[in-house]
Amino acid sequence: MASFNFLVLLLIFSFCRSGNLQRLHEKIYSSIEGGAACFRRLNGTHQTGCSSADNGAVGVVHMIKDVTDAHWLVENATAGPYMVVVSTALFYDVFDLLFKQPELIAGILLYDNATKSAPQFSQDMSCPNDYSAAEGSSCSAGGVVWNPKGTGLLRRDIPFPIFYLPESRSQEIDKIDECYQRYNSDKNNQKGKPLCSVQLHSFMFAAVNTEVCLRRSASSALLTPTKVCDPLGDYNVYYSLFPRTKDTKNKKVTLVTARIDTASLFDGVSPGAASSVVGMVTLLTAATTLSQMIPIADSNLYDENILWTLFNGEAFDYIGSQRVAYDISKGTWPAAAPLTVDDINLHVEIGQIGGALNKLELAWPLYAFIPYTNVVPEINEFVNTLGSNLQNNISINTEFSTHFPPSSLHSFRRILKNETESAALPEVLITDHNAEFTNLFYNSALDGFDKIDFEYRNITVDGNGTFISTDALLANGTMKEVDTQVKIARLATAVSRTMYQRVAGKLYTGNITASAHLVDEMLYCFLRSQACRLIMAADYASSGGAEEKPPERAAPLYVGVATWASTPPVFAAHLLALLTGTALPVNRTQCDALNVPGFSQYWLRGWNHSGVCMQTTMNISAAISPAFIIEDYDLKSGVYSTWTESVWQAMWARVFVRASGAGAGAAAVAGALATLAAALLTYWLQRHAATIFTNAPQHSIVNDDAASGILRTVNC
Amino acid sequence: MDLARLPNDKKLQLCRWYFKVGCLLLPFVWAVNAIWFFKEAFMKPPYDEQKQIKKYVLMSAVGAIAWVAVFAIWITVFQLQRVSWGATGDALSFIVPLGRA
Repeated sequence: MASFNFLVLLLIFSFCRSGNLQRLHEKIYSSIEGGAACFRRLNGTHQTGCSSADNGAVGVVHMIKDVTDAHWLVENATAGPYMVVVSTALFYDVFDLLFKQPELIAGILLYDNATKSAPQFSQDMSCPNDYSAAEGSSCSAGGVVWNPKGTGLLRRDIPFPIFYLPESRSQEIDKIDECYQRYNSDKNNQKGKPLCSVQLHSFMFAAVNTEVCLRRSASSALLTPTKVCDPLGDYNVYYSLFPRTKDTKNKKVTLVTARIDTASLFDGVSPGAASSVVGMVTLLTAATTLSQMIPIADSNLYDENILWTLFNGEAFDYIGSQRVAYDISKGTWPAAAPLTVDDINLHVEIGQIGGALNKLELAWPLYAFIPYTNVVPEINEFVNTLGSNLQNNISINTEFSTHFPPSSLHSFRRILKNETESAALPEVLITDHNAEFTNLFYNSALDGFDKIDFEYRNITVDGNGTFISTDALLANGTMKEVDTQVKIARLATAVSRTMYQRVAGKLYTGNITASAHLVDEMLYCFLRSQACRLIMAADYASSGGAEEKPPERAAPLYVGVATWASTPPVFAAHLLALLTGTALPVNRTQCDALNVPGFSQYWLRGWNHSGVCMQTTMNISAAISPAFIIEDYDLKSGVYSTWTESVWQAMWARVFVRASGAGAGAAAVAGALATLAAALLTYWLQRHAATIFTNAPQHSIVNDDAASGILRTVNC
Repeated sequence: MDLARLPNDKKLQLCRWYFKVGCLLLPFVWAVNAIWFFKEAFMKPPYDEQKQIKKYVLMSAVGAIAWVAVFAIWITVFQLQRVSWGATGDALSFIVPLGRA
């Protein structure tokens, strides 16, 4: 008997060997790789984004190849819920229909189609960041609707998961389509048939709103110390032309700002080419050019300083600029030599300027939004100077309006307006649109390098870090006047010359211009690959000498959670240090030991990768909303950004053929019948025990005081 | 322990002891007492200590049922109202559910 049991055990074990189970699992499911999931974010009052159930969402595949497929789904489908597979090109036309009947939809698998590209795609609001707009500048209350193509899904609580498959993963869509054609094509007879299905798993831990999720993250009991959400946040980057210390801080400052971040519905996909990168690259290039025009040693000659600042987290109610404005109002920014509002002569924001860039149009019309209805001399002078410095098809028109596009100006006006003596901040915003956005992919997964017609030229940089001038590139035919790089370089030149005039009080007569070669490299770093020349040179030199190559894809420009620094602000900071700083002839230990007021030193890899000590005025500051640093802040008050991001454990998707359900039904019925038959048989056997078993005990004895019999066996 | 082998005075002692232990906020002991001694109290032919045992069994049963009722009401109220209680609801929860209110 024992040996028989052992054999059975051995048999079970041999079946349960992981290899066999693995193979069975692989036979049933085929995983969908490379997808990016929509995830949950929360603010003071709501939850937004997507979550699947704890065990994922399962639905029958339904490929939407034109709008009639979507109509069939909401009107005639019988085997629901369905997993909708739709291309980005069709999404705008069908999403409304799908969201009207969420009970029919298990989830959406969105894919980017190489052959048919989307004409527009923006999941941000039609009035982005409207709740944080300056007083009287709300776009929903009668102003210009800036982003009319925005679906608003980024700020909506979506009742099912959504996954996004980029163009590079089209083979996954082919796989699903093949399975769909084979099993689901007989659309009107789907009920009771085995059907091709997809399971999406993106379960989010946080819920309700920021207040609830932060409370649960902090106070989780002894048993479950689970963090369910983190505040959004990262770092702002700033760099001043001249060092600012406590002694020199009475110099007036021109603040030039742009934003680093963008957003999208999907995790890890936020390219932001037209939304933010063009503005950021223009600022970085202009700062570099100005630092070449005015040597830092001349700082004593001038009374004006330029503070170049990059804000982060602007896509989520202006996290970075709200924090800077708040810190200025408290007299704590920049930490080394705080500014007051009256120190700021002028605030120029380089806003969204990438939407109108394309290789067919030579002209690049820009607009300067002045948030006043009357003429402010300081601002007008700046716009006129900038206009006179612009050349070659870039124009600038002035718009006087208290309704101005989404930008950090809103934060400054909200928070600092009452801090000034005149209650007027000299501000100007530069955009490439005077009404609605020219960028139809605002804050979306499709706002890639192709949207600004960027073609990388891959020109080598020599060991001294000298870049070929724009004019030389045009002369030798490497670039043309219509190229994005050239246009950005021209704008950066104009901005730096205008800033030169502000600092020096005279026209710039030298021949230093912003290099389209530098712009080319910078765009490549932020839009195509982190393994680029600039980042390789601007990275920290590792002590061992071994070079770790960064990944060959662009870093997502989403602000991320405040727990750690994301790559884009670190890149921007290092680029400023490398391109505007002064190389000191010291070794690494001396470099680390230096302590010069107003400066900091970074030991970077350098152009020939041998290590270089860069002395710079660049610094970083926290871009975490004031809401999370003010004690007892009322998260529902709506004064500051309150965005948090949910924690999740895993995101995956897989396709499989779901059984018709007939087999499962038959198994259940058979099980019930077998149980019933066994019960009847037992009952019958017991009734007739005496006749069946020759030595069976008498009926009466068995039943005598059964309870005490049981008790006897457990005698203590 | 086999009650059938126990002398009657020991039964009473045991039943009283169980009732007293149940008084220390241990309704499950009351429930055990009520079930265990039910036959002794109500179904066995009368004997001297039976009246007392009956009393303890009854009291244990009523006590246990009262506890069950209190628990049932509390659990129902808590499950229905936890979300609307907000911070208090979370503070009272041993395991806070993930991904929902």
